[in-house]
Amino acid sequence: MADLISYVIRKLLLAIPVVILATLIVFLLLYLTPGDPVSALSPPHATAAQLDAIREKWGLLDPPYVQYGKFLWRISHGDLGTSIGFGTRDIAVSSLITERLSNTLMLMGIGLAISYSMGIPLGILAALRQNKAADRVIMVFTLVTYAMPSFWLGLLFLLLFSVYLGWLPAEGTTGGFGSIILPAMTLGIGNAALTTRMMRSSMLEVIRMDHITQLRSRGIPEREVIFKHALKNAILPVITVIGLDIGWFVGGAVVVETVFSWPGIGLLMTRGILNADFPVVQGCILVMAFFVIIGNLMADVFYAYVDPRVRLG
Amino acid sequence: MKRMRMSPRRMLNDTLLSWKARGGFRQTVAEIIERGKRNAMVVIGTTIIVILISLAILAPVLPISDPAMQNPNAEELSPTWNHWFGTDNLGHDVFSRVIWGARISLFVGTVAVLFSLLIGMTLGLTAGYFGGKIDYLISGAIDLFWTFPAFLLALAFASALGPSLSNVMLAIAVSYWAGFARLVRGQALTVRERQFVEASRALGANNRRIMFTHVLPNCLAPLIVWASIGVADAITIESSLSFLGVGTQPPAASWGYMLYRGKTFIEEAPWISVFPGIAILIAILGFNLLGDGLRDVLDPRLKGLRR
Repeated sequence: MADLISYVIRKLLLAIPVVILATLIVFLLLYLTPGDPVSALSPPHATAAQLDAIREKWGLLDPPYVQYGKFLWRISHGDLGTSIGFGTRDIAVSSLITERLSNTLMLMGIGLAISYSMGIPLGILAALRQNKAADRVIMVFTLVTYAMPSFWLGLLFLLLFSVYLGWLPAEGTTGGFGSIILPAMTLGIGNAALTTRMMRSSMLEVIRMDHITQLRSRGIPEREVIFKHALKNAILPVITVIGLDIGWFVGGAVVVETVFSWPGIGLLMTRGILNADFPVVQGCILVMAFFVIIGNLMADVFYAYVDPRVRLG
Repeated sequence: MKRMRMSPRRMLNDTLLSWKARGGFRQTVAEIIERGKRNAMVVIGTTIIVILISLAILAPVLPISDPAMQNPNAEELSPTWNHWFGTDNLGHDVFSRVIWGARISLFVGTVAVLFSLLIGMTLGLTAGYFGGKIDYLISGAIDLFWTFPAFLLALAFASALGPSLSNVMLAIAVSYWAGFARLVRGQALTVRERQFVEASRALGANNRRIMFTHVLPNCLAPLIVWASIGVADAITIESSLSFLGVGTQPPAASWGYMLYRGKTFIEEAPWISVFPGIAILIAILGFNLLGDGLRDVLDPRLKGLRR
């Protein structure tokens, strides 16, 4: 256990430069915007006095490293600036984000559940029927769903289930639980292709191992060999990468939330982009980067927990 | 005497033989084609890509209507013989826009991947070959860019740069290079310890020569695999960015941009969105099939590289 704790601490320390570099990139985005940085931070038709106030507040007249220092100081205190976009002007970006955070987390959570509850059984089935019809069908299915852009799949779902069949609401959260089904399905199915492929190859690897052959030769029923012994080993590498999936889901959420007008961080961000609301966009990117870093840490820790070789190596 | 017409297969084989005889880089390419021919995924993927590229190149001479022509008398028509994929809200012919869209989407995908290949190869070679502090710095950057999904990075860059064709390519290129750099760096690290490198250094070869004659040809196979999958990913990223409104802008109407415009009319005129989506699906499928197939025939160890 002690080695696990020291491994986690080591990983946490290694995450610090990643956080610093990520915040640096987010900070530098301001300088990638076309024109004077102050124009990206000020509402349209701002007066000269307002522009000066914004320069003062963001420290745009300071040398770059001071600006970055101030930026770090502000974000570490939860101050992500104020929105300049239409409809949300002068509202703190952090409160805009926290209001929507639970919606995005819920969407990602249900999406993950759909992805894994589809991908794991399909992957097992494909591995056990390797090169037979079922395997072929499943592999073609994963190829096609992986190639399907999520926004298009979302539009097709919308067309089928809400326009033609009228079963589920098309947009927003007005339909209660029904509203989340289509966005979560869109998000989950895209990732399920990857989960299926991983589960299949992991299972194929395990069932060729010596200890599985040995169990079979002892006459233990196939069902027991697969579900009691092989599955336990095969499923671990698939589960440990859940953390890495978070990055994929965060990106997917931006697209899917936009398709279904699901009021999460992703929709906030795309609305921010269309409204030229730079502080909101910057804040959203920062939160998403944070998600990705946490996800990677989770994967590292989980991996070390199930496989002692990782933390001792 | 009648001259025998050569079958395409024969021609391919002859070319392969003459390439092989010349050795070096050409030999590697010839071998890749040789082995690829026998893999169904490679064949299907290549066929799809060749068809798409031909359509894209031939778009100006094909008997299709002008993609920019607006017909106020033919708005939101459902698919018919005159308009195979129907018309959009401004009376554009969707079929001809899908064909012309192939030019934009394939162009963005290929150019973005070539740029990121260039960035990744240069950084990977430098890091892997020289080692030391340079390697430490570059590896840090590789790890950082590898940690974040390319789509999120590209979204961040594109939203700051603003929507335009060149900005999208730039955003994808600077987000995608880490995979190439990792591959090349790893290869350079192993190759530089090999005896033939030592031998050629003893013969007086300088660093640049060793990198280009020994290290790079050794990475060629995985780079081609990665580049093919990369084009598929780049097309996905471009279409997603365009769908969100930070991608390509008219007159360069890519498939993603068509969906961005079409989604408002999804209820009354679904064909505006459905057909460009099918085009994206087919293009991504083609490049993925080629990449996956090549990976299987060239280097099975690379399985699971992607994720």
